[in-house]
Amino acid sequence: MDKYYTDKTFLARWVAKELTEEERSEFEKTDAYRYFDILNKEALLLEGPTIDTELALKNVQSQLHSGKSMRMKRRIWRYGIAACFAVAIAFVGYLNTSKTYSTGNGEKQTILLSDGSVVYLNANSSLSRNRIFWSDHRQVALQGEAYFEITKGIDFEVKTTKGTITVLGTRFNVHDRSNFEISCYEGRIRFKTALDTNQTTILNKGMLLTLEQDKIQTKIFEGEIPTWRAERSKFKDQPLSKVLIELENQYQIKFQSNNVNTGRLYTGEFVHNNLKMALEATLTPMGIKYSSPDQPIIILSN
Amino acid sequence: MNEEAPSICEEKNYNMLFRKLYAPVTKYMYYKCGDLQQAEDIVQNVFIKLWELCATISFYKAKSYIYKSCNNSFINSIQHKKVVLKYQSNINEHTDYESPEYLIEVAEFRTKLVKAVGALTLKEREVFLLSRIEKKTYSEIAEITGITVKAVERRMSKSLLSLRDMLGKEIKL
Repeated sequence: MDKYYTDKTFLARWVAKELTEEERSEFEKTDAYRYFDILNKEALLLEGPTIDTELALKNVQSQLHSGKSMRMKRRIWRYGIAACFAVAIAFVGYLNTSKTYSTGNGEKQTILLSDGSVVYLNANSSLSRNRIFWSDHRQVALQGEAYFEITKGIDFEVKTTKGTITVLGTRFNVHDRSNFEISCYEGRIRFKTALDTNQTTILNKGMLLTLEQDKIQTKIFEGEIPTWRAERSKFKDQPLSKVLIELENQYQIKFQSNNVNTGRLYTGEFVHNNLKMALEATLTPMGIKYSSPDQPIIILSN
Repeated sequence: MNEEAPSICEEKNYNMLFRKLYAPVTKYMYYKCGDLQQAEDIVQNVFIKLWELCATISFYKAKSYIYKSCNNSFINSIQHKKVVLKYQSNINEHTDYESPEYLIEVAEFRTKLVKAVGALTLKEREVFLLSRIEKKTYSEIAEITGITVKAVERRMSKSLLSLRDMLGKEIKL
């Protein structure tokens, strides 16, 4: 059973920020933490009643001078009204704490976040973010690929399946599909893998991080924006299978590869807005024949 | 006495005490009884008593005298009633580019939170609100309520657990 049930002051010490670093980080990993965090943050937004001290002072002074003591006033009817109110508003709906944006095959979406940051979501991807406390807690979760332009402010966090990216204000691309890549186009970002939280990698402008077999590698790259933002996908010595997956992401098609060897390496690029040209640019140079692109399923043959 | 304590019988000192203590004490009483008018009545009556007894109470003990008398007066008058806090909510909204549906959800959640806070036991509620709204430390709360710091922490933890039990179903992670 979790710690905070056995230790009767655990939660109190947590809200007073008196936990040790170790206790805190352990607690923050639990689901219960997320509930308590919301409750606490919302409670901090509550306000007390407004009290007019001067009016009260005048009142007391006039009582003192007239020599009469005040009578307690009873207002039982008030509770009656409050009770009716309570019945009327109970159980209307849930509070969804996150909001998710998704794109299907061949779709792209631009998301403007409330802090002014912009996220360009590539095809077949999804981004979800916290809806409350956005002003002091900038955090999103990403699956697939997206390009971020973050406005300056407090830490902005992107959670991916492979780890967490933390930034202050910058532009970068995250590709989290069969392979994992982060490219930094401006400023500086920090990546923490999900496997080993003590290991962080810092990326500066023009640096690319890849993760293969849980090994982090960094490289230098050139370019001002990701190619997919220019409606293109670019490959350098990548197996054909990855090219086919990306084609499926960008167009409403499926491939049936039969006995075609998809392990061969491909170098080149294809456009996102013209299927015929895209197939011409990828399959023809590899000497692969394909059935009519007007059908949802394209059959490949040597 | 090498330096004489200020006398509460002097109007200037009395008014100073009033201005300093009236609002925090009234809020505290409000968190207990849930009726602002009643809270104000209790506190004003105690201040009237303070004036009558001004010669017998030391200026430096006035604060604890006021808290204690208000507490006693509250216990005498309404302890027998089970009171549910009717909480005045005027939460400031922060601007966000959100859909109207979501703003309604947030508003509903906040109403439920306010209700749930009201449904806490008196002991839990006073500690919870003094800590979260008045931002008092546990030792300050211990002084006001007359219990130990450890007890304050236990009540705080319990109130969070109670709120989670009441509202956990309302939150979708």
